[in-house]
This record gives sequence, C-alpha cells and structure tokens, in this order.
Amino acid sequence: MERTEFKSHISEKYNQNLEDLFNQVLEMGGLVEEQLQNALEAIKCENKVLAKEIKQVDKLVNKEEMEIDRLCARVLARQQPAASDLRLIVSAIRIAVDLERIGDEVVNTVKLAVKMSKVHDIPCETLPGFKSLIEMISIDLSMLNSVLTSFAQLDLAEVADIVDDEDRTIEIKDAALLEIQNSLNSNDDGMAEYIMQMIYSIRASERIAAHIVNIAESIVYLIKGNDVRHMNSKKLAGFLNSISE
Amino acid sequence: MTEQNVAISLDREDREMSLDNEKIAIDVQDWNLWYGEKQGLKNINMVIPENRVTAFIGPSGCGKSTLLRCFNRMNDLIDIVRVEGTMNLHGEDMYAKNMDVAALRRRVGMVFQKPNPFPKSIYENVCYGLRILGITDKSILDETVEWALKGAGLWEEVKERLDDNALGLSGGQQQRLCIARAIAIKPDVLLLDEPTSALDPISTLAIEELIFELKKDFTILIVTHNMQQAARVSDYTAFMYMGDLIEYTDTDSLFTNPQVKRTEDYITGRYG
Repeated sequence: MERTEFKSHISEKYNQNLEDLFNQVLEMGGLVEEQLQNALEAIKCENKVLAKEIKQVDKLVNKEEMEIDRLCARVLARQQPAASDLRLIVSAIRIAVDLERIGDEVVNTVKLAVKMSKVHDIPCETLPGFKSLIEMISIDLSMLNSVLTSFAQLDLAEVADIVDDEDRTIEIKDAALLEIQNSLNSNDDGMAEYIMQMIYSIRASERIAAHIVNIAESIVYLIKGNDVRHMNSKKLAGFLNSISE
Repeated sequence: MTEQNVAISLDREDREMSLDNEKIAIDVQDWNLWYGEKQGLKNINMVIPENRVTAFIGPSGCGKSTLLRCFNRMNDLIDIVRVEGTMNLHGEDMYAKNMDVAALRRRVGMVFQKPNPFPKSIYENVCYGLRILGITDKSILDETVEWALKGAGLWEEVKERLDDNALGLSGGQQQRLCIARAIAIKPDVLLLDEPTSALDPISTLAIEELIFELKKDFTILIVTHNMQQAARVSDYTAFMYMGDLIEYTDTDSLFTNPQVKRTEDYITGRYG
C-alpha cells in the first residue's frame, strides 16, 4: 500500500481530509516521541525543568487526540469512507488513543527525575533499577520511532521486530524489580521514596512498550485489513515477520 | 458475565457470513450475454443465496441491470440479445426450452426504478396478478391485499382508501405499492432495479427497512448506484465492471477489505 493511494480520490476535498488526518497522527506521534526523548534526558541528567516541560507538552498531546477524533468524525459523517479509507479512520482513532496514553505514561516515568534529588549522595548509575530504566526507555524510543516510520511509509517491515523489543522490555523490568527487591534493606527514607517511584517508572515504561505494540497492530489493520489484536506475542511476532518479508 | 453469556457472545463472533454456509436459490454458471456483436456479460459464475439480500454495484454500463434482467428472462424481449451458459432456480434450468416464461416470472418478481402503478385503484393494483392467475374469491383477494400491503409497509397509510386511484399516492408510496403488487403473488425471488433512485431520503429509508423485513420471506436481488445503500441493505455484494464480475463476497468484507484493487478504487471513489 502506498501513501499516494489516499490522494487519488476523484474528490480533492476527500484527499485533503485524509492527508490532514495522516499529518495530524504523525504530528501527535512526533510530539510523544519528543516527550519520550526528553524524559530520557531528564532522568539521565536529573533535569527537573525538562521534567516539568514534559507535563506541559502532555496537554498538547491531549489536544491532538481530540483533534484527530474530530477529523475522523467529520470524514465519517461527510464522506462515508469504505475499504482502506475506512481502515485509516479506525486505525487513526486507535493510534491516537495509544499515543495519548503513552504521553501519560511518560509523565509518570519522568517523576523519577524529581525523586532522584532525595538520594543525592549516591551516583545515579549505581541506584537500583536506574540503568534498566534507561535501557527500557531507549528501547521504547526506538520502538516508537519504528511504528511512526511504519505509519508514515505504510511499510510493515519497520515493525517486524516490535514484539521482540517488547519482550526485551519485560525481561529488563523483571531483572530490575529483582535488583530493587534486593536493595530494600535500606533505612533511608529518601531511598525508599526513590525506590517506590522507580517501580512506578519501570511499570510505566513497560506500558509504553505495550501501547506501541497496539499501534503496530492498528497499522497491520490499516495496511492488511487483519485484526491481530489479542494474539499471543509468539503468534503476533510470527505474523509480523511473515507479512514483512 | 455468566458462562452462558460468554458462550453466546463468542458464538456471535463466529457467525460471519459466508456463501459456503448458505442455501442456494440461483446458480449461475459460465453465463455470457451479447447485444448483437457486443458482449454485455462475460463468463459470470456465481450463486445467489436464499433469503438474503444480494446487491449488484458497478459503474453505468457494467452489466448489473442486464444480469438482473436475466434472472426473470426480461432480456428475451430484446431481439438482438443472445445468451449462453446455465442459470438454475432451485435446481431447475430457467432457460430450458420447455420453461414457461410467464410461470418463471411469477416466481421471480421485479420492481423497477420508476414506480409504475396501473391507473387503477390501490386494491386492484395489488390483486392484479392474482386476478390473472384466475383467483376470484373475494375473501382470498381481500386477505392477500392486506397481507401484501402490510408486507410492503403501506397498509396503515392506505387501509381507509383502498378504492382510491393509485396515481394519487406519493412517489415513495407508489414504489411500496409496486413492491406489494410484486409480492402479492408470493414469488420466490424479488428483483429490485434501482428501487429508490427516484425517491427522497425518507422514502428511501422506508424501502430499505422494508427490504430488510422482506428477506425473511423472499430472496432479494438489488441493483443500486448508491454504494452506501448496498452497504446498508445487503448481505452479499457483487461488484461488476465492463461485463465482468470482479468481486463477489459478503458485504462486510467487500466494504472494509476488498481483495481486488478495481473494487477498492470504485468503492472509495478513486481514479481507476
């Protein structure tokens, strides 16, 4: 499937509506990607100002979701889309929901940047779970980049490894929680608070990966018309590999 | 949710439409039609399921109305038309040499684009076919007229004025009267050739609702230029182009995930 197909309707207005929708989803995706990139920096550098900015950007992300819904409702009411046009509308609504939730989870993750000051005398890299969280967010970022590229180019090859990436975030999460569990004998209140937040942040990063896989499933529906939601991860990975070959 | 409810909801998901699970009313094999030298239908193979609505869509001149008219041998009336292939109604060859065409048309009724009531009373319009069949018993005629008008969703509007001239009815009412006239003789199959193209949106919705009700008793074939109408009323949709049957499947699949690019281009309004 090619992007140009959505520009080849006899109605120029319809072409423009669908082009606007495509761009709106990509714009929202770009904002969320930037949020995630900034979260990585904020946590690495303990940057509280950047952490606050992320919360501000989240309001924009929420507005984008509403704008996408409005565009979709307009096309449904006025153009009665069918086939791939209809699947684009359904996918755009689903993708916007997942992007909005990723935005919320990024806000949850980055709260760690504030809590880290309470354990100031310990170098970041040695804090329990820290390296794992950085690695999880980096994988989330790469996954998000892949699904957005896949949506922009309507190319499923970009998301062929997405399930393996998600599995990797789950493995890191499990190892990080074990590491945290082993460090729970500290009497330091600041450390306790940090650890509580670290657990939330790790959990949020794992959710981000799950939402990104949802987006990949929406793109499969858009391009192929198959509903692959609620497939077990092994089956989904096999399916994605088979259709992207 | 109880275990039973879970079972019911899962069962619903499984109940997807498929021609493989249908009883067949009409079976078309290797069907070709020529208008003189020009071929109008090219090697059509399809089955029409019983008690379902099958829609035919496609651009002007694609052959959809021509094919519809084959189902009650209306094309016999055109001298230059020649057909080849087989068409069976419940296993019986519709084009057999000994087929009584008038009897066939009693089994396959037709309603046209423009409402065409006779300049007679509402009552006489509906029982016209019955009178031709030689039925004179007043109680049978009364009963059938009421049944057909109720079936066509017109009874409540006309029951007090059955003797009024049918030409005094509105366009939408006239079309429903034509449907009542067609079903009064209880055909197996009802052919609808663009039945709402001359009607306003509300009358159109009334006819579409009627089609949904009528499929319980009849096998319905509808030709329409209005793709949204095909999507709304039909169980199966056939897309035709230049005399070829391009794609024929359940309506949900055809309108959400067509398998042939030409179908996709047509139903999404793209340059083909």
